Amino acid sequence: MNGLIPEGMAGTIATWVAALVTIAVWAYLVGERRLFRLAQHLLAGLATGYLVLLAVREVLLPRLVDPILAGTSNVLLWAALLPVAAMIGAAWLPRRVAAIPIAVLVAATAAFALGGAVAGTLMPQLGAALVAPGQSPAALIGAATSALITILVLLAFLHGAPRTRLVAACAGVGRWLLIGGIGGWLGFLLVSRLGLLVDRVAFLLNGWLGLGR
Amino acid sequence: MTEAAEDATPAAAPSPDRQGRSGGRRRLGGLLALGWVGLLLLIAAAILVGPASSGSALAVANPDRSAADGVTATLGNLPQSSLVLVAMDADLGTYPEIRPATHAVMADLLSRGATLGFVSVSVEGRALAVAELDRLRSAGVSADRLLDLGFVSGAEAGMVRLVDAALRPGMSSPMAALIAQRGGGIGAFDCIVVVGGGDIGPRSWVEQVGTRLPAVPMVAIAPTFAQPELAPYLRSGQLSGLLATTRDDAAYVDRTRPAAPADRSPSALAMLAGMMIALLVLGRQLLAAVPRLASGAPAVAEPEE
Repeated sequence: MNGLIPEGMAGTIATWVAALVTIAVWAYLVGERRLFRLAQHLLAGLATGYLVLLAVREVLLPRLVDPILAGTSNVLLWAALLPVAAMIGAAWLPRRVAAIPIAVLVAATAAFALGGAVAGTLMPQLGAALVAPGQSPAALIGAATSALITILVLLAFLHGAPRTRLVAACAGVGRWLLIGGIGGWLGFLLVSRLGLLVDRVAFLLNGWLGLGR
Repeated sequence: MTEAAEDATPAAAPSPDRQGRSGGRRRLGGLLALGWVGLLLLIAAAILVGPASSGSALAVANPDRSAADGVTATLGNLPQSSLVLVAMDADLGTYPEIRPATHAVMADLLSRGATLGFVSVSVEGRALAVAELDRLRSAGVSADRLLDLGFVSGAEAGMVRLVDAALRPGMSSPMAALIAQRGGGIGAFDCIVVVGGGDIGPRSWVEQVGTRLPAVPMVAIAPTFAQPELAPYLRSGQLSGLLATTRDDAAYVDRTRPAAPADRSPSALAMLAGMMIALLVLGRQLLAAVPRLASGAPAVAEPEE
């Protein structure tokens, strides 16, 4: 059905395994937790194994080990051995030495994420929210409403600061708007999960049992 | 007053508060039952009426095709024999929702003569990219029109590295040569299609790659729950197209159907069974929540000023 399961015997085995694991997961709905737990452990084990395999085959060997064995002149690659050793829990590595590459790793990850959020989300979205002259009345009303909702919701997070009665009332409205937003998002989530459920049922009925084809 | 006396006196006549709660519970139960009947009638009507009117198993009118229009326009503006990067960072659990739209976009691109390069910065995305490449190869797509750029570690940092160096060491194919000729980075591509669903997805691609290569159009395909997060990027022009709801996906799949054979839709039986299971689970949860709702939700604790 989805084109990802191959034809032939391999496909038949894959279909049966997928069907049985799906049923094992759904067993949770009728209170059978042992099968569900087994499926959970299976998923965790397979995911971890796959992650290790991917890291070794596609990252460590081609980008670190092979160049070093080939006699690379890049000193940074030798330095990269430190975080790898620290990550796999090398007990012989002094803690102060291991802490440096880990700190660099965490700081670099945070810097990329924060820099991207400011340059790619905050600034462009602020720019897009500004009301430009010459816009249609509908666009102006929409922009003003967005700004008002943003202010009210931000006021809802004003904890600990002295508040007048008006600000407290606005914060209350902001809190309800926030709850409404979360409710809307949960609605999107529900629709998303409903589609996945129908897909699984379709797989069992059409792909596995051959009903309704 | 002793405990025995406390037990004896109020048991005879329920307090007005308790009566009010009981009435509220009954009203809520009635509303719930009404909602159930309505939903069941809606599903039955859709299944009965759908095939006669639209030819599909379960279909309702789609009033808004603007998202599909946007994606079609972006792909339509690509040059002949364009290079398209498919950033496959979908989530294994949510991919079935966007799989038909993803397949339709790939088939649409191939029918326009595009060449596809696959890259992933997430582990699950890499597994899906391998599966999709196998699917396309077994469907008869020429090997010259597919390029596996592999898995890139480092999440956001990996994306930034891709901007300058997308090719892996030792890659040799006509497509790899063309990318190298155009600079070797993502800038060599005419368009980026981001397939998201996990932590690393269209937002990260917009933030890390879109800011560095604003001239390269970016189209995103994501599950429905990501729509509220991604819609602002579409409005601000950072995304050229977005398919992020079942409705938009269906509209796009429907549009590309003649050129691209889409995945088979689930049968009416599967949809009915899926809806019923969902209703049963939801109903069970709601019935468990009714007593709590009727007795009043716990108040939100206000911080002391």
